[in-house]
Order: sequence, then structure tokens, then C-alpha cells
Amino acid sequence: MNLEDIIKETKTYYCLECGKCTSICPVSRHNSNFSPRLMLERALMGFEDELIHDRELFSCLTCYACSHLCPSDVDYPVFTQKVRNLASSQGEHGDCAHSGTLFSLMRLISRSDIKQKRLDWLDGCRTSQKSEVLYFVGCAPYFEPIFQDIEVSPVSIARNSIKILNALGIEPMVLPNERCCGHDLLWTGDVETFKKLAQLNAQMIKETGAKKIVFSCPEGYRTFKIDYPQYVELDCELMHITELLAQNLSTLSLRAKRSNPEVKKVTYQDPCRLGRHLGIYEPPREIIRAIPGMKLVEMEHSGDESICCGTSAWTNCGSYSKEIRVERLLEARATGAGMLVTACPKCQIHFKCAMVDKGAEKGPDIEMEVMDIVTLVANALGGKSGE
Amino acid sequence: MEEIKVGVYICHCGLNIAGTVDVEEVARYAQGLPSVVVARDYRYMCSDPGQALIKDDIKNFGLNRVVVASCSPRMHEPTFRRACQDAGLNPYLFEHANIREHCSWVHDDRQIATEKAKDLVRAAVRRVYYHEPLEIKERPLNPNVLVVGGGIAGIQAALDIANGEHRVYLVEKEPSIGGHMAQLDRTFPTLDCSECILTPKMTEVGQHPFITLLAYSEVEEVLGSVGNFKVKVRKKARYVDEEKCTGCGVCEEKCPWKVDSEFEVGIGKRGVIYLPFAQAIPHVATIDKERCVYFLKGKCRACEKFCDAKAIDFEQEDEIIELEAGSIILTTGYDLFDAGRIPQYGYGRYDNVLTALEFERMTCAAGPTEGKILLRDGRQPESAAIIHCVGSRDENYHEYCSRVCCMYGLKYAHLIKENTQAEVYQMYIDMRCFGEGFEEFYRRVCDEGVNFIRGKVAKVTDVALTEEEQGKLIAIAEDTLLGRIVRVPVDMVILCPALEPRSDAEDVAKLFTINRRADGFFMERHVKLDPVATATEGVFIAGCCEGPKDIPDTVAQASAAAAKALSVISRGRVVIEPTIAQVNEALCQACGRCEEICDFHAPKVISKDGVRVSSVDAALCKGCGACAVVCPTGAMSIRHSTREQINSMVEALLEV
Amino acid sequence: MAEFEPKIIAFCCNWCTYAAADIAGTSRIHYPANVRIVRVMCSGMVDPIYILKAFEMGADGVLVAGCHEADCHYLNGPLKCDAMFEKLKKVVNVLGLEEERLRREMIAAAEAPIFAELIEEMVKQLKKLGPSPFRERVKV
Repeated sequence: MNLEDIIKETKTYYCLECGKCTSICPVSRHNSNFSPRLMLERALMGFEDELIHDRELFSCLTCYACSHLCPSDVDYPVFTQKVRNLASSQGEHGDCAHSGTLFSLMRLISRSDIKQKRLDWLDGCRTSQKSEVLYFVGCAPYFEPIFQDIEVSPVSIARNSIKILNALGIEPMVLPNERCCGHDLLWTGDVETFKKLAQLNAQMIKETGAKKIVFSCPEGYRTFKIDYPQYVELDCELMHITELLAQNLSTLSLRAKRSNPEVKKVTYQDPCRLGRHLGIYEPPREIIRAIPGMKLVEMEHSGDESICCGTSAWTNCGSYSKEIRVERLLEARATGAGMLVTACPKCQIHFKCAMVDKGAEKGPDIEMEVMDIVTLVANALGGKSGE
Repeated sequence: MEEIKVGVYICHCGLNIAGTVDVEEVARYAQGLPSVVVARDYRYMCSDPGQALIKDDIKNFGLNRVVVASCSPRMHEPTFRRACQDAGLNPYLFEHANIREHCSWVHDDRQIATEKAKDLVRAAVRRVYYHEPLEIKERPLNPNVLVVGGGIAGIQAALDIANGEHRVYLVEKEPSIGGHMAQLDRTFPTLDCSECILTPKMTEVGQHPFITLLAYSEVEEVLGSVGNFKVKVRKKARYVDEEKCTGCGVCEEKCPWKVDSEFEVGIGKRGVIYLPFAQAIPHVATIDKERCVYFLKGKCRACEKFCDAKAIDFEQEDEIIELEAGSIILTTGYDLFDAGRIPQYGYGRYDNVLTALEFERMTCAAGPTEGKILLRDGRQPESAAIIHCVGSRDENYHEYCSRVCCMYGLKYAHLIKENTQAEVYQMYIDMRCFGEGFEEFYRRVCDEGVNFIRGKVAKVTDVALTEEEQGKLIAIAEDTLLGRIVRVPVDMVILCPALEPRSDAEDVAKLFTINRRADGFFMERHVKLDPVATATEGVFIAGCCEGPKDIPDTVAQASAAAAKALSVISRGRVVIEPTIAQVNEALCQACGRCEEICDFHAPKVISKDGVRVSSVDAALCKGCGACAVVCPTGAMSIRHSTREQINSMVEALLEV
Repeated sequence: MAEFEPKIIAFCCNWCTYAAADIAGTSRIHYPANVRIVRVMCSGMVDPIYILKAFEMGADGVLVAGCHEADCHYLNGPLKCDAMFEKLKKVVNVLGLEEERLRREMIAAAEAPIFAELIEEMVKQLKKLGPSPFRERVKV
């Protein structure tokens, strides 16, 4: 696919050059080298080389803040995704955080003959070999050791998700050799490896006969729902765990944490992939409101105006990403909430990472509790959640 | 972007490489690699004509990268970097592939070794593509030198440097300088009186205008790097005012409490307030706080009553002195092996089993027996056995030979013969008389009627089997030349214990950031070609802390270290290694993980134009790479060891 | 059919293990040619990406070797490397990478024979284990 094809496919020629995208973009607000409007303009004017070799091509968070407001309905994130594919074929890949180890892992996971050991954390969870429902675990078993120093436990999110499913009377299947959904590879231009992962996942899921797949990670959910159908055939109903929970709130007995009977003010971060990508805003809010002792307060920018957690696909994570996170965390603290509730493991990781402040000279005070909604619910179920 | 043009040079190293690796084949292979403009093979790349090949090609082909495949970069990387620099190419645009130590010398199959050499060359060519020119910066330095340890090595080094009119700080942890040499009686083979040759030097140190003597002091902290070391020294309180004390010694006379003297190796006594020996420099008294009745119980103060100069000061406190130096010389000396660790020799059990140092003090005219060789009960010995290799050349204790014992063993034999009528039995495995006048001395001692028994003593016992052995110590050995077990009854046994590293060598090594060898002594940079330098720039070692040696060798090393230390500071400026950490501020999130992990305090999170970023102090950074590994965004990288460079090697090595 | 020859990448620190390999050379101590050494200044400089990339590119075994704790030229490099390595081990464990394929050793400059023995041992072990499951190449 060349640049002209991309322009045609994403209908970017409708762009009016109005600049609404740039004015709302969280990256542009902090990084004057980046502007969605200018990127499009370069493409439309045929400056392919400048576009492809610009490092800022990889700065877009693909958060859809721009397209949400665009009067011409230009799909800027998909445009970016496809141009990155072109750039990738010329050896460009932006700056990969964590030395690129996450991407190396994704590529290793795409090899056909591996036998992963991904399910050691299942104790206390009831799963089944044959169920209509499959729980997609995602990258939690890998994130657990990698991010242990910032005090997050992605595996607890997976464990708590299954506990919640158990409480709803479901004993889901889990894939012992599940592959990464490939979201980060797709969005940074490595479509070939993404395809391999999709094919491997689709094959394994078909073999289980599952009819419904539940996700606790919005990125996995979005990828299966919107991107997989272009590459593989998978005939399953797909749901985020908050959708399932919101539908079944009455069947769960939720109670306040015994240790702290006071009302706790919390605020909620809409993940880009759940919110603007898939339109799911209310279910997580219904859930929070249903927990006794919790009072939901909204940040200045919430719902479809929510601001992204600052980094997408571990790419071009830098000083601007930190500024975005600080801005968002100050918004969270301004609500008076003692806790920020997230519904995406990446959001939790990025916000906790922003709070790391080990130098002698300290930065702004942005410390606060960051908890995944699944853990919030599991705690309120009364049993031990293990966060 | 400029076109990368690589020149590749495969060295034959005579037959060292070419004998196993098909060097012409490797050169042909290199010629076909991407970006390689010229590839040659040559007999000796490090030679002048070899280097000329590189320099000419740089000029004629416009090379901007050079790869040499030859010996280890630890040998000749500096050589080829200099060659590049001479031809106008930045020296860091050079990469070295090791196809000798890591290839031709360790594999024998020609085909396999050649394939491996090709892999290593391919990886070097790939890596050098990503090299950047690096600027070697210079900064001013501190022209002082710190010498740690005031034995003969430290004294010699300090004098050599001070005579060059550079300030020397000489730190010594004992109350006086002089070290072990001050305890020796006569020195082999000339039998000079040790104190007589040492004392003039000690006095010179005490009076030299360029030497600041910090005795009874220890180094507590060392920060900084070559050219700019910042050192904290604790000057321990003597409870005696050095300015007022005249060293008259009356205080020691009047002190009611006597304890074992360390200088006399426990066979003599000293006062609790004392001068360690008569020629001590600084010539002032010291109160042993741990044993002083005033400090322990609040009583006495006799010394104060009798001191005419009013020099006693019980309120004195330790002083922390902060000093700066451009280079450091460690001359911390040795400990004597504890012969009690070999119970078979009876040291500590039998009265008349002595160690070498104890015997030295005995024969010394100023020692506790006034130079008389006496048994514990005051009689003169009628016979003595000198046992070599106690703790040396022994798998169970120290594998190495302590180098000086054969000679001093012979010296003792001679001294006993000279001063008594005793029979002397030299019990040895080999006679190591390698130095100037040594073999001649051995002959002389043979002619004096000393009995040489070639056999390592297995046991010293006082259990007599015959009438003759009653009341004696019996040394049991096999006389290997006669093929017979012998029991040698003697009155006195002198042990030649090993020289071993100081008990605090590990702490000292850590303090000064140097390594130790497998045998525990400080590690030199190169055994043959750089014996007084250490892996740490600006820190040098000399004397027995580097390994057992005699006084001539110690003095030679001390002067060598002084020359090295002077060459660091005489330029007036020090080179800042450019291969250190650097921050890409666009990627920095000021998380502080770099500041947390660094042992050298190089990176710090600071505010720069209102933005918080990490900043690396180039003078402190050693380029170890730890900060780059913990940096989550990749903002921190190490010049000349970037992730891109190392990744490119991994890819190149495995892609075929 | 040719015998499987495992490929080993060894990250060796300049002051200790690289020097030990040099001394193995000077002493003409022979060992199998399956290993390719990548020089790093300190074992604490080894980034997990180097190891993962090695396995991505088809290495059958990876060795990370440096000074003993007391010998490090940069004081605590070995401890920092250990911390990185412990974390990485957990990650590659989930991947299903066999324990024998990734090794951490401390080899001083004076321990050349130990270096040679280690390579012999690794090659023997890896021959038994077979090619890495992460290789995309045709297995021998």
C-alpha cells in the first residue's frame, strides 16, 4: 500500500485544514513539533519522505480525541496506523520505551512452536476445560515481573476478573498458550507479526469451541472486535468485563470495605480504547455507583472528552508523555478523590510510572492510589482479592 | 546523511592468526560486506607499515570508519585509535575485532575458526557503522598526590614526588611511619642495618616542605576521579598535642601500665602512652585509648603530671581532613601469615617457636633482648632450626611463593652463626636466591657450616623419643636428598611465614575502586607491561600490597609509581573519557531511577529552564551503563556502548 | 545429517570475563567455537533487550558473565546485573524458555580455565536440549 492508497482508504482528502484536531490533541498541547493537521497536510501534498522519516509520526496516541471532533470525520488514528506501516517497511519505528523489550517479547510470542507457562497465577480461580465463555488473559503474566517496581499487579486484574466471573456463575476457559493480541504491533506498523499472532489466537480459540470472549483489557477487546475481522475469522461474541458486570449488577452482592466504612470519593479514567474507540462510557460508571461506600466524582475532562494516559504502544514515551500524565493526575487530585479508578492495565501502569520520583529534588505532588475497576469490584465482593 | 565508508584490516599476526584462520578468505569476505570500501590482510597490523596502510587508505579512500581484526582490543585498541587520529579520523570511529585470543588461539579447526572470524568481522563492521565521533575533552586537575601507607614504599614514593616540588599527602594509620622495614634488623644480602638506612629517609619525610605527613590517620572516603579526587581522612586523636610534644619519652617511663608492643611483635612491652620505637616519625607520643585507665575508669593521668611540655590533651578529638589530589598511590604493605594456623609447628604452644618478625626484633640491638639471641628462659640456644615455606607454596594456605623467605632464612642462619655457637639447621624445599648478591650470600652461609636439610618440616614436637631429644623441640622432616626421615632436636625453631595481603585489603580495594587478584593482593593493570597501575585511572600501587617482594624491588616499584603519578599530574590537565552516559532530554521523564542506581553520584535530576531533567556530571561518570539499563524511556544511553551499537552486533552475529 | 551445533552469544564484561577469555587465548586453552563474545564494559551494562534479541535472532543459548561482586571496576555492577537478570528470568520463564538456555555467571580475569569449562558445559547441555524453540529456521 502506498501513501496515495492510504489517503484514499482513510478519506483524508476530506480534511478542511481547520485545525480543530490540533487544538484538542493532548500531544500537540505539550509538544510543539507535533500537529495532526500538519501530518495530514504533508501527506496530501505528497511529502512522503518527510512524513515517513519524521520521528513525530510515532508520537500520536491514536486516542481519537481529534477524530471525535473532526467536522470531516477523518479517521486520523487509522491514517497514522497505515502510514506507520509504510514507515516500518523503511526501518522507522519511533523510540521504543523499555529498550524495545516489549516488542521483542511480542515477536518471540509469535513463533509457532513455543510452549508458554502463563497460568501459574490461577490458584483461587475456578476455570473449566469446556465452557461457552473464554476469558482472554492478555499480557498480564509478562507485565507482572516487568512492572513489579512500580507496584502494579496486572496478574491480580486477571485473577480478580475470573473471581468476578465465578461470582456471576461462570467458570471460563483460559488458553494455556494464548498469544498477545498484537495491538501494539499493529499500531506501530508491524502488520506481518500482528497477522501471525491473530492467526495463532484465532486457531486456538476455534479449537475450544468458545462462543463468547470476555476481556479485562480494552486494547485486546478493541483489537479482536475491530481489527481481527480484517485478517481472521472468529465467530464469537466479544465483551469487556465492565459490560458484563453492568448487565448483571443485581445478581452480585456488593458491600463496602469493612475496614473503612466512610464514603470514599473516587474518580474514573476513561480508557481511549474503551471510550472513544468503542463508545463504552456508562457501564464502568454504573458499576462504581453500585458499590456501597463509593462516590464517583468526575474530572474536568471526562467521558468522550477524557484525556489519554499519555503513551500508546510504548512508543515515543518521553518528557511530553510525562507532562500529559502530570496534567491528568492533577485533574484527578483536583476532584478531591482519594483514588483514581482505571479500566485498562496500560492506564494503570502509565499513571503509576509517572509517580516514580527518586531524585533528591522532588517534582510536583501527583501521588494517589490507582486501582483497576475489576479489583475495586472484587474487593467489594467480600472475598480476598490479592491486590 | 554522509555515506559510510569502512576500511577493514585483517591481521596475520605472523602465524598466530594466519596459522589457523584463512585471513585472505576473511579479507575477501569483508570486501563484500555493505559499506566496506577496502579490505586488506597484512602480516602485522600493529607495526608501523601496518598502521601506515590504515592511514593511507583513510586519505586515499576517504574512509570514515575503520575495523581491524587482530588481537584483543585490550592490547591494541589504543594503538589503532591513535593511528586513525593521526590520519585525521576521530579515534572513536574505529572498532576492533578479536580474532586471535578469542578465535585462532582457542580453536584448531581451520574452517570453523575462519567462519567464526568472518562472524566477528561482520559484527564489527555492523557496529562501527553506528559509531559516532566523540570529543575528548580536558579539564584542569589538582596537582597534589596522595600516598596511602608510610612504609618504605610510601616513603620512597612520597620523597620522589616531593623532590619534584609537588605536594604529597602521606597518610599512615600507625602512630609512626616506617612500616615493617622499621622492625627489621639487618637486610639481606649486604646485612645493612635496616633502621640505619631507613631513618634518614623517615627524617627527610618528616621535614620535607612538600610533604604533609598525616600519621595515625586513615582514609575514610574517596570521591571523584583521576585528576580530581576528593578524599576524607580521619586523623585519629593521640590525646597528645603534636606541636608541643618533644618526644622525650618521660610519659612512657612514668606510665604505670605496660602492654604488649605491636612493634615488638608481642615479645616486648610498651606503655599505654608510648612512642612505638625510638626513631618514630612523627616523634610524638600517643595514648592507646582502648587501654588507658583514664579513659576506662577516669583515674591516673600520670603522664600529664610528668609532661614538662604540657602536651597531654585528654579532650583532643578525631579530626576529619578533606583534601584533594590528582593521583593516588597505595603502599599499604603486607601482613605476616599467622603461623598459629598451622598447629603442627607449635607456634603459640611452645615457648621457643618464633616467627621471622619476632626473630628480627630479637637480633635487633634496640630490641627487647638488646640484640641477644635468647631462649624464653634467658639461655642461649645451642641449636636452631629455620623452617621455610610456612604458609607459602601450600595449597592449604597460599599457593604462591613469598619470595623473600629463603633469603631472610639464610640471613638468620648467618646471624645465629655470627652471634652464638649454635648449630643451625636450614629446613627448605628450594633455595630461591635470584637477586643481586643472593647466590653469593647463599654460598657464604654454606661455608659457615650451616646444615641444609632439603625437606619440608611436617611437625615440631616436644615429645622426646631419645635421651638426646629431652627438653628440645624436634623438627620432623624427610631429608629428600638422603631419602631418610630425620628428627632434628633443637632449642629454637624459627618459622618463615608467608607474606599475605593486609586483613583489610578488601575494604581498601573497595574504597579506592581497585581489584584484587585471586591471591588477594591488589591487581596490577598488566602483569608485565603495567605493574604499578591499576584498572582505575589515577590510582597506583607499589610494594608488598601488590605482592610479596624485597626492599630493592619495593623501592623500585615505589619510584615507578611516583613517576606514573607525576605523569598524571604534570600535564596540568586530565582527559575526560567521552565514553560516558548522556541524556536525551526529549525522552527524559525525571523519574530519578538513574540518580538512585548510580554509585558515583553522576546523574542528578535538576531543573533546567523550568523543565525537570536528569543531568550527568561528566567528571564523575565512569560509563558503567547501569543507569541506561534502568531508564524506562531510553533517555539515558552510554556513548560508544549504545543500545543500537550493541543490538547491531547481536543481529550481525546471528543473521547468518 | 549434520550434528546440531548450538549458537551461543556471551555478553562478557571488559575487566573480568572478557579478560579471562583473552587469557584463555594466551594460554591456548581450547574450547568449542560455538560461542560469540560481545564485549560490554560491565555486566551491569547488559540490557534485557540484548538477551531477548539474541533469542529472537536464533541463539540457542545466552551467557551473561562478569566480575565477582568484590572485583567490579564500577563497584556494584554485578549486583545490578543480578537484579536485571532475576527479573528477566521471570519473564522468559513465562515464555517457556528452558532454564539452561539463559545463564548468569561470575568469572574473574584470573579464571580462564573456568571460562573454557563453562563453554564446554553449555555446548554439551544445549546439544542435548536441541535448537531453541524460538528459532524460525528449519531444525536440523
